[in-house]
Amino acid sequence: MHFLSRTQIITAFGAVALVFYVLDLVRRRKLSEDYSLLWMIASLVVAVLGFSTPLLTWITRALGIMGESSTVFAFGLGFATVMLLYLSIRLSRLGQENHALTRELALLRHEVDLLRTAAAPGPPGTAGGERA
Amino acid sequence: MKGGARVLVIVPAHDEEESLPRTLAEVRAVAPAVDLLVVDDGSRDGTARAARAGGVPVVRHPVNLGVGGALQTGFRWAVEHGYDVGVQLDADGQHDPAWLAALLEPVLAGACDVSIGSRYVARTGYRAPVARRFGMVLFSGLVSAVLHRRITDTTSGFRAYNRPVMEVCQHDFPKDFPDAPLLIALARRGFRLQEVAVTMRERRAGRSFYTLGKSLYYPYKNLLASLMALLQRPV
Repeated sequence: MHFLSRTQIITAFGAVALVFYVLDLVRRRKLSEDYSLLWMIASLVVAVLGFSTPLLTWITRALGIMGESSTVFAFGLGFATVMLLYLSIRLSRLGQENHALTRELALLRHEVDLLRTAAAPGPPGTAGGERA
Repeated sequence: MKGGARVLVIVPAHDEEESLPRTLAEVRAVAPAVDLLVVDDGSRDGTARAARAGGVPVVRHPVNLGVGGALQTGFRWAVEHGYDVGVQLDADGQHDPAWLAALLEPVLAGACDVSIGSRYVARTGYRAPVARRFGMVLFSGLVSAVLHRRITDTTSGFRAYNRPVMEVCQHDFPKDFPDAPLLIALARRGFRLQEVAVTMRERRAGRSFYTLGKSLYYPYKNLLASLMALLQRPV
């Protein structure tokens, strides 16, 4: 196996290390399986490109890129962009869900306060659970 | 109110303990038959206490969701409690409840689904800063073009909505500012909108939802959301 440059070596081994780190995160339940998928694909592709010099050279020629290391970085950057966009989408959805839950919680809280007051008639302030 | 229609005045309030009691009292004075609901949108002051002291039910958001979220909670409540019409009224005293009857009239008569209390239908002497005036012309033009109907005050927070509108809005609603995007989305669903001339007052206390930090984000977000409301299929 021969490498074209030092950057190719660093990137290739870095990508392999990332594969194992992602797997370990999933094992320790720090990263959910669905999120890990994109990371696995990204780091595996970069690792394959890093180790397989003929493939890397072929793709570089085919895409008209100057220099093989640029190809590796281009793929990495592409995956990073996809990942960030994906995270933004997930965040937007989380925000919407959070928003809906907050509203639901407020209405339920009010309902609970009413029921408590009705169930335990006593001096005001003892049953309502008010802290305002 | 006439015809036995049940009307709920929804007051979104964020840190409005100073002006809220007078606003509530004013509504009670001019419209005793109308019910009130305060949606406390994550206030840090005694807004909820002020509302309860006035004998008004309060729904409290544990965090601040913005005026759109507060309104949506109010709609949900109104639908669950069987109200026919919901009125949005600011807590800060800008909206004079004396105009409530005029605002409700076309909705109760079935002439429209949403009535908008507008500052600009009649000359009322309200002067806005230049940048704001440009935005108002822009969004008013956009909404008017989409609705084929003149809407001059897209940012007015003094509106009446009938039950079908509230039923839709309790689930699907623009998040931050219920302005031009909301009006376009409602029109695209086939709801009829109408402006009613009102005069507005200076806010008594508290600050505007439209703060300086949002002054750049607002036009961008509102324009984008308006265009998206045009492109989105009505759900």
